[in-house]
Amino acid sequence: MPTINLRGAQKNYGVNSANAVSDLDLEIRDGEFMCLLGPSGCGKTTTLRMIAGLENLSGGEIRVGDRVIDSVADGIFIPPEKREMGLVFQSYALWPHLTIERNTDFGLRLRKLPKAEREARVERVMQALDIAKYRDRYPSQLSGGQQQRVALARMLAVNPGVLLLDEPLSNLDARLRLEMRAELKRLHKEFKTTIVFVTHDQWEAMTLATTIAVMNEGTLQQMGTPDDIYDRPANRFVAEFVGSPPINILTFGKPGASDIADKAETYCAARYPQLRGIGSIGMRPEAMGYAAKIDDVPQGSFSGEMTVTGVLPTGGSWILELRSENHTLFLTTHALPRVDSGDRVFFHVPAEALHVFDADGQRITEADALLRSSTYN
Amino acid sequence: MALLSETAKVEGLVRKPVATPSAWQAWRYRLKVALREPTTLVGVLTALIFTYLIVVPIISIVLDAVRVQFGHERRLGKDVGDLTLYYIDRAFFSPVAHDLFWRPLFNTLTVALGAISLSLVIGTVLAWLISRTDMFGRRWFATALIVPYMLPAWTFALAWTTLFKNRTIGGQPGWFEAMGFTPPDWVAYGRFPITIILALHYTPFVILLFGSALRRFDSQLEDSARILGAHRYQVAIQIIMPLMRPALLSSMVLIFAKCLGEFGVPYVLGLPVKFEVLSTSLFRSIASRQTGVAGVVAASIMLIGIITLMIDARLVREARRFVTIGSKGSMNRQSRLGKMRLPATGFAATVFILSVGLPLLTLALSTVMKMPAKFTLDNFTLDYWIGTDLHTVALQTGILLSPELWAAAKNTMMIVGLASLVSGVLGLLVGYVVIRTPVRALSVYLRQVTFLPYLVPGIAFAAAYLSLFAVPRGPMPALYGTVTILILALIADQMPYASRAGISAMTQLGKDPEEAAQIAGAGWFRRMISIVIPIQKGSLVTGVLLPFISGIKGLSLFVILAVPSTDVLTTYSLRLVDYHYTQAANAVVLIIAAIAYFGTLLAQKLTRTNLAEGLGS
Repeated sequence: MPTINLRGAQKNYGVNSANAVSDLDLEIRDGEFMCLLGPSGCGKTTTLRMIAGLENLSGGEIRVGDRVIDSVADGIFIPPEKREMGLVFQSYALWPHLTIERNTDFGLRLRKLPKAEREARVERVMQALDIAKYRDRYPSQLSGGQQQRVALARMLAVNPGVLLLDEPLSNLDARLRLEMRAELKRLHKEFKTTIVFVTHDQWEAMTLATTIAVMNEGTLQQMGTPDDIYDRPANRFVAEFVGSPPINILTFGKPGASDIADKAETYCAARYPQLRGIGSIGMRPEAMGYAAKIDDVPQGSFSGEMTVTGVLPTGGSWILELRSENHTLFLTTHALPRVDSGDRVFFHVPAEALHVFDADGQRITEADALLRSSTYN
Repeated sequence: MALLSETAKVEGLVRKPVATPSAWQAWRYRLKVALREPTTLVGVLTALIFTYLIVVPIISIVLDAVRVQFGHERRLGKDVGDLTLYYIDRAFFSPVAHDLFWRPLFNTLTVALGAISLSLVIGTVLAWLISRTDMFGRRWFATALIVPYMLPAWTFALAWTTLFKNRTIGGQPGWFEAMGFTPPDWVAYGRFPITIILALHYTPFVILLFGSALRRFDSQLEDSARILGAHRYQVAIQIIMPLMRPALLSSMVLIFAKCLGEFGVPYVLGLPVKFEVLSTSLFRSIASRQTGVAGVVAASIMLIGIITLMIDARLVREARRFVTIGSKGSMNRQSRLGKMRLPATGFAATVFILSVGLPLLTLALSTVMKMPAKFTLDNFTLDYWIGTDLHTVALQTGILLSPELWAAAKNTMMIVGLASLVSGVLGLLVGYVVIRTPVRALSVYLRQVTFLPYLVPGIAFAAAYLSLFAVPRGPMPALYGTVTILILALIADQMPYASRAGISAMTQLGKDPEEAAQIAGAGWFRRMISIVIPIQKGSLVTGVLLPFISGIKGLSLFVILAVPSTDVLTTYSLRLVDYHYTQAANAVVLIIAAIAYFGTLLAQKLTRTNLAEGLGS
């Protein structure tokens, strides 16, 4: 399917209600596996349903290639049944009165394909998804994971130009979820379909997507590869939303926010003077280290002395909770910590692992470069 | 440089900004979306139909109350149709107002209050015994004690007259009279028996509503209070009672609304001693062609009904506040009755015998006995069921061989059946439109207009139909005396239940299965035929069957709108009562009761629904 383009797409559910989606521009290229990621209520599902045509727009337009399929200004609305897209619902929405085979066959029958071809295609997707043995059962006789596969098969059978998935894994248990993730990745390769996938689970997005679009409160925050999103968050929202434990933020110049935050400001301003008095920095817990003595802190890194207030094992790694008078920081370590609650330690983080944000929370990319290329020790 | 591209990338997305659509463009787009599918069209059509079938008749009868009626031009010195306060004055302030309105109102209120108090006392105890104790046969009683509600209320009225009828009126005497004890008038007719019968008939309301509230009640709430040191009675007064109040008030209000429209019982038991309630007074006004006064009385009944149900709506809202209290792990602990176990069971059994066993047995026996209360073998006969060449003026065959019964049965099946079928289908359609239409105003209007008949007692609604369709209006010919008017009135009368069933079925279905079909490429009709209707088969059956049952035992609509040629079973039996064919009348009532009872069971079996859901039908 050609590139899908949302331009200035808007949705509100009433004259006086806030926009569920406001002024959204989004480009989904052919063959992409795109994740719409964000907290619940951020408008990601609404976006997906607008693409499918199940929600009409309040403003803006949607194009597929050069063809406008939805536009308020031009008064164009192509109904969902004519958009040739596939959508897997969060609830799966299998038709309870049809067998698995009939569920899978439904779309093909509508397309009035010859019987032989229909059977071949149903067979192929049922084999691909390993549900052929349930063909004569009804949806209520299948487990959640199997229903999920049927929902996928039903959509893949008609070979849609784009497959839209609305939190498809959220109703599965942890193990099945892992299996289905691998399955989705395999299906993406095998069927070469464009996939748009809605999730609030960052790991799902990270592991599956070729492109992630992070949304919040109806607006697009950042679009990029998983690495972009994680390593170079465009703003504080993205930085704080992605990552667990969450990124540590130190805000500059906050009255009363002395000690560590002041140290951070001094450290950064020495390298990039414009930063004095504005903004904040973020440090990923995984990027941080700690030392018992100041001598063991690596040269040139940002560091500070804090008290250990908790050592939380998470199986294979540990989270240290550090406190100073005004701040609580978390850091992750993969080596058995040789410290205990009450010990004083020095955390440290290399300059290039600092994320610098301006007063509005936007990433200052120039600061990245300066901090990184700095020869200052 | 790649590092620099982050903000650039976000900005890069904002290419040419799309102009905000003008109001006209937005409106045109919305219209296009709304008209794309027949949903909106179907909605507009059904809205028009119901405006005509529900709103217009009600307006018509209210107008009748303030406009000069045919035949009164001379007396009022005005033309037919001119505005007048004469009827209001006559019904409320004239010397006859006492007989027309105030005394019936007083009787209605006292009977209703009596019935409410009695059924609350019996009902709450039974509900508690059934849902929270270890009484013997709880499960059996849970169904058995609901049976009175499945039977037409005046079944009990006929059983009562069979037993207690005295020499005040003619015809076959009652059993007690026949045995030599003459029951006093106050036992045989009027306020006392009407109150008792209505109380027994509506006790199931309390059992269902109060019982379900009790079952939902979380025992942990009791336990918490006990642990904090509260005594049993303190728990009962401070914790249980406040939480049960909405359910109790709600059942009171519902019983009141039902009593307001009750016609059969006061007709059978009140008339001999001129004990009138509002519904019988309305019937008399209509029967004596006092259209204007009938309008005033009908409008008053509607007004009282509407106020009552608005109070109920408030209570339901209030009740909803309490719903969140019940936790998921709510335990339903049973109280041990100990020594009281047997007496408690005895109490439940007594209520069952009085409210179901005795009346039905009396009626059944009365149909096979020539002389009342003479229990000798030669007095028993099946003649009244299947006899031929009987020495009576009319009805010379047993009831089952009488062509009139079969004609009435055929009429019933056709009229009630057709009306139920139509209202069931319309109900599902309304449900579909209400849930699916993008036009909110349409959804709200349809929901409310189909609910309107619920606020109007059947007898007043029938009067409204009479007022509108008795004469030709516009393209509509005069419909009085036709089958059509009965069917139309029944459809309208049943819409509250049908549309409620449709709306709840569509809400439960959710939109996912249909949207999935839409995504798969199915248009509106295809989705209706392949997805919506097959999935909703069950609720469609209920949506037809429940109105059918309530229509079969319904009396108040028919008594005003039916004529001998359109006799249905209920009006036929009432006619037999009027002619004092006691055995035949009782037989017909038994037939109706049997159809209603087994129909309800069938509906439950088919849909695995609980009776409580059909409550109020």
